[in-house]
Amino acid sequence: MIAAIASRAATPLWLRHNAGVAGVIVLIGVVSVTGASVSDRFLTLANLLNVCEQTTDLALVSIGQTLTILAGGIDLSVGSLISLASCLTSGLINGNPDRVVPVATAVLLLGSFVGLLNAGLVVALRVHPLIVTLGMGAILQGVTLLYALGPVGRVPRGFSFLAYGRIADVPVGATLAVVLCGLVALLLRYLPLGRQVYALGDDANSARLVGLRRGRILMLVYGCSGFCCAATGLYLAARFGVGQPYTGVNYTLASITPVVLGGTLLSGGRGGVVGTLCGAFLISLLNNLLNFMDVSKHYQLVAQALIIILAVSIYVERRGME
Amino acid sequence: MLTLKGISKSFPGVRALAGVNFDVRPGEIHGLLGENGAGKSTLIKIIAGALAPDEGEMTFADAPARWASPREAKLAGVHVVYQEFALFPQLSVAENVFLGNERRNRIGLVDHKRTRKEAGELLARLGVSLDVSAMVGSLSVADQQMVEIARALTHNVRLLILDEPTAVIAGREVALLFDRLRRLREEGVSVLFISHRLDEVFALCDRVTILKDGRLVGTHETRDVTRASLISMMVGRDLGELFPPRPKAVRARQTALRTEQIAIGERVRDVSIELCAGEIVALAGMVGSGRSDLALGLFGALPLASGAIDIGGERFTAMSPAQAIRLGVGLVTEDRKSQGLALLLDIAANITGPALAEVTRHGLVNREIEAAIATREIERYRIACRGPATPVATMSGGNQQKVIVARWARICRTVLILDEPTRGIDVGAKAEIYRIMRELAAAGVAILMITSEMTEVIGMADRVIIMREGRITGELLGHEATEEGIMHLATSGRAA
Repeated sequence: MIAAIASRAATPLWLRHNAGVAGVIVLIGVVSVTGASVSDRFLTLANLLNVCEQTTDLALVSIGQTLTILAGGIDLSVGSLISLASCLTSGLINGNPDRVVPVATAVLLLGSFVGLLNAGLVVALRVHPLIVTLGMGAILQGVTLLYALGPVGRVPRGFSFLAYGRIADVPVGATLAVVLCGLVALLLRYLPLGRQVYALGDDANSARLVGLRRGRILMLVYGCSGFCCAATGLYLAARFGVGQPYTGVNYTLASITPVVLGGTLLSGGRGGVVGTLCGAFLISLLNNLLNFMDVSKHYQLVAQALIIILAVSIYVERRGME
Repeated sequence: MLTLKGISKSFPGVRALAGVNFDVRPGEIHGLLGENGAGKSTLIKIIAGALAPDEGEMTFADAPARWASPREAKLAGVHVVYQEFALFPQLSVAENVFLGNERRNRIGLVDHKRTRKEAGELLARLGVSLDVSAMVGSLSVADQQMVEIARALTHNVRLLILDEPTAVIAGREVALLFDRLRRLREEGVSVLFISHRLDEVFALCDRVTILKDGRLVGTHETRDVTRASLISMMVGRDLGELFPPRPKAVRARQTALRTEQIAIGERVRDVSIELCAGEIVALAGMVGSGRSDLALGLFGALPLASGAIDIGGERFTAMSPAQAIRLGVGLVTEDRKSQGLALLLDIAANITGPALAEVTRHGLVNREIEAAIATREIERYRIACRGPATPVATMSGGNQQKVIVARWARICRTVLILDEPTRGIDVGAKAEIYRIMRELAAAGVAILMITSEMTEVIGMADRVIIMREGRITGELLGHEATEEGIMHLATSGRAA
């Protein structure tokens, strides 16, 4: 039904781009109702706020991934960049509260710079982003392991506020993720370069003929993705109290699931970050439900995999049938 | 305004342009004429910075122009309305019109309200009323063309290039477009106008330049040339030499293929046609009229939504390409590079592609049998190559097309469908393709030829079926078909 709405010619554009949000909200409803029948504690405010808190890392990294996918690319270096960011954060701060601000700033800048480097390589070498970012991921993982073979440094207690802090019961990290999502959504809608992200993802050849500057668009999306990875790394260091060299390894693939669930086309040109945020929440909610049902972590992975395949099969453009 | 000196460009296996000189004056409408494959599109792409010439010099507004990208040409004031649209199907009409040239508010952010308002006004001046919030992918081809034209007019244009803008629009829209172009001329803008329709060239252009086989034939004041002289300059020979003689009409033919009110996707509705063994039927109509979808449907590459196809007395309500091939039906698709050939493989593999069983021994492909078949076909169709192991990608468009036609001609017993069989190939190769079609028809194959070239319809077809917006709007016998008659049925759905 959602696919039908999204592909109907008469459907307004805003709805086409946000059809994923509607779909995800329906699924969130289904999971909630199931959860309520499993446990009384599932649909309580306390549990839902917990779920929000647990969504933070996935939400942060997926917001950046949404941008690269919208532009017709993908960023496979996110996992290693997150690992590097978390190791540098705790290793450089090393328990010294005075270093928190300068190190956090430096890590965010470094993440953005790695993203810009990805974009630069894609443009300069004319290599598909899949390959460039895959290679970048391997390089970053190597660099991380050169820096630390195991857990490194520690963060001061105050820094953990990022991961566990609550203001009036609302988790701080999750709030920051929502704010970031809002900013990116505005940027995509109101920045000329933001509109051009959609154009590039829709038809790269037309974009060239119209005279769009692909390099700038790619720098924007990969730079943002790098920034989001650095933020995720900071968050994970705060959550675990220490940086670990493999902490980001699962995020590369995990960051794609919320994007697709949220209705962004894998081929680019359609979708948005609000859908991604909802998609990330849905995944956390589902994992939470499986926890309530005492299903092992391993089955949770299987469930996630099934969801992504199902989601893609729903959203797939039925070309030739239209 | 624009001067070209000795521009040459080659692609693997073809010399697209050879030493072309010509110029466009400030404030003139300059027609560019030539058959398909004459090099017009390549020339436009060079002027627009989308391709770099191998040799030659270009000056624009008295400055040397060596553009590294379309963006640089645009900044200099060169804008192109391409035939294959440079549009973004998932974005709205308004966004497409102003893409890369966004309407902004005081602080530099996109002003969506102003974008929609100005896009609406611009389109209204071109005589189209469109919902500017609609997605471009959902528009008709004609409306998409108008969006593309509107976009070119949003810039500060000094040279506007239109690549067959009237191929998909008609009537009022053409008249308004011409008005607009004449007004631009008064403002000192130069227009380079490419069209197949000579009437339009005479109505609009101050001068015309004719290209043939990548070479310049000449530039003339429009008032100094006639229709006949233009045609002979474009074709370079009489039509009689191009088209093989028609056989004496044979009556009482067998039906090879018949459709009963078939619908395919959303673009073909209620189509009932009949093809007889040994006849050549042309399927005419505008691009986007559903011609290609009909071809794909008959071959089973698009599903039938309703109706039935009758082939050799058997009735089918569903068809697949594998089944079509078994029944002796072949399809030469419009886009040989993406839908026809395996470009990196050699001629032999491309010819035997759909008939692998024939060259397979003990479960393995036997290259010797394959090569023997290919050698026979290469001789039969005079394919210029170094042998059956020549990679198809290195051959010229005309020879590539012969490879595809050879592939299907060999295994087609019943019906051969050819979609734009002579697009982008030189005149010599065209004559060969026409000869092959006649031979196949003489051997009893029914031929359905989709084409936009009127000379081809009139020179080849025993019967013409005209489509418009997914339906059959008329049928003419070969000897009563005229360009005007066909255009009328294709654009208004009524006979002249």
